[in-house]
Amino acid sequence: MKYKDYYATLGVERTANSDDIKAAYRKLARKYHPDVSKEAGAEEKFKDVSEAYETLKDPEKRAAYDQLGRHAPGDEFRPPPDWQQSFGDTQFSFDDLDLADLFAGLAGRGGGGRRAPNAPIPGQDFEGAVNLSFDQAYKGTEIELDMSVAERDANGVLRRVPRKIRVRIPKGVTDGQKLRVPGKGGKGVNGGRDGDLYLDIAVQAHPLYRADGLDLYMELPLAPWEAVLGATVEVPTPAGRVTLRVPAGTRAGQKLRLAGRGLSRPDGSTGHLYAVAQIAVPTVVDDRQRALFEQLKDASSFNPRAHMVD
Amino acid sequence: MRIESSTAVFLDDSGAVSIAQLTEQSGLNEAEVQMLVECGALEPRDAAASGLRFSSGCVTTARMARRLRDDFALDDAHAVALLLRFVQRIEELERQLRAVK
Repeated sequence: MKYKDYYATLGVERTANSDDIKAAYRKLARKYHPDVSKEAGAEEKFKDVSEAYETLKDPEKRAAYDQLGRHAPGDEFRPPPDWQQSFGDTQFSFDDLDLADLFAGLAGRGGGGRRAPNAPIPGQDFEGAVNLSFDQAYKGTEIELDMSVAERDANGVLRRVPRKIRVRIPKGVTDGQKLRVPGKGGKGVNGGRDGDLYLDIAVQAHPLYRADGLDLYMELPLAPWEAVLGATVEVPTPAGRVTLRVPAGTRAGQKLRLAGRGLSRPDGSTGHLYAVAQIAVPTVVDDRQRALFEQLKDASSFNPRAHMVD
Repeated sequence: MRIESSTAVFLDDSGAVSIAQLTEQSGLNEAEVQMLVECGALEPRDAAASGLRFSSGCVTTARMARRLRDDFALDDAHAVALLLRFVQRIEELERQLRAVK
């Protein structure tokens, strides 16, 4: 286990009182928190600072940390022989844990007094990020997450172990959605409830569809004559191609609704697919087509800029 | 060894949680939840005989509040609520920006 100097991380003396430790932490949190700092390495620095504060703010954890002795940061070390007995009923496998795991394993000891023996301790929540393709989000999918977690084995020894979690992602998730997997976090102790797994979902952009809630939007390019005269066109949807009736006089930006063709959820809620009309202009015309356009120009009194006249 | 699959549940308006479930899943205590309700940072869906109920989406909001409370060592629920509103506003603006790009 590598030693970390939590006092040095917070920039305080080892004799600092709790108010000074809190003030030092708050100053560093304001500087390095990822929500406010875009400095390179800020997130890593904030993790270090948080880990240090998490231990030093709790009188019992701080006492346990102080009893580890002083070592150079980064040095491999072992707690003194009587350390485990002094600080609890948890056994630790020091070979695979890091310092943060050690003090997380003392969780439930805060508040200025020892917790009641055998008091239930809820398991830790885990968080993860999941990247899905549009197709996976549309249909739902099963994913496997590989995690390394600190948990107690059958003998009650806290050790870091690999864990594979398989999760069924329901259909209809959208980018930025949050999901909860009940009971798939850290194990509870003494009958405490198991923690949960929280997932942040990112869905890759689709070349055609843009999601807004359960609704989907796509551009529908139309030839000028299709927009003017109306047309029946074939369009893609996530469930396959369908025909769409474009009314005569369809304007650019007008939304044509394909009901029930958006995303759908297991509970039956369904969005719509909106085809947003775009007027596409042919850039290559032969002589006959050019002549027809000239005739149309001469025959029509349509002025799309009429509203711009003073 | 076969690994059992667990189904994830949506944290949004499609589900509902009691105040007890909200405190359990967020790490806030009931007094903190009540304070966030009073500050307008959390909106109950309805009031059942057993107490306030919230949409499941409030679990995400409440967890964010707890994270801000812990990350910035905030003692004041009003400060947490205010910071939460700003973070939510920033996230909404970022969503709108991504939609426009």
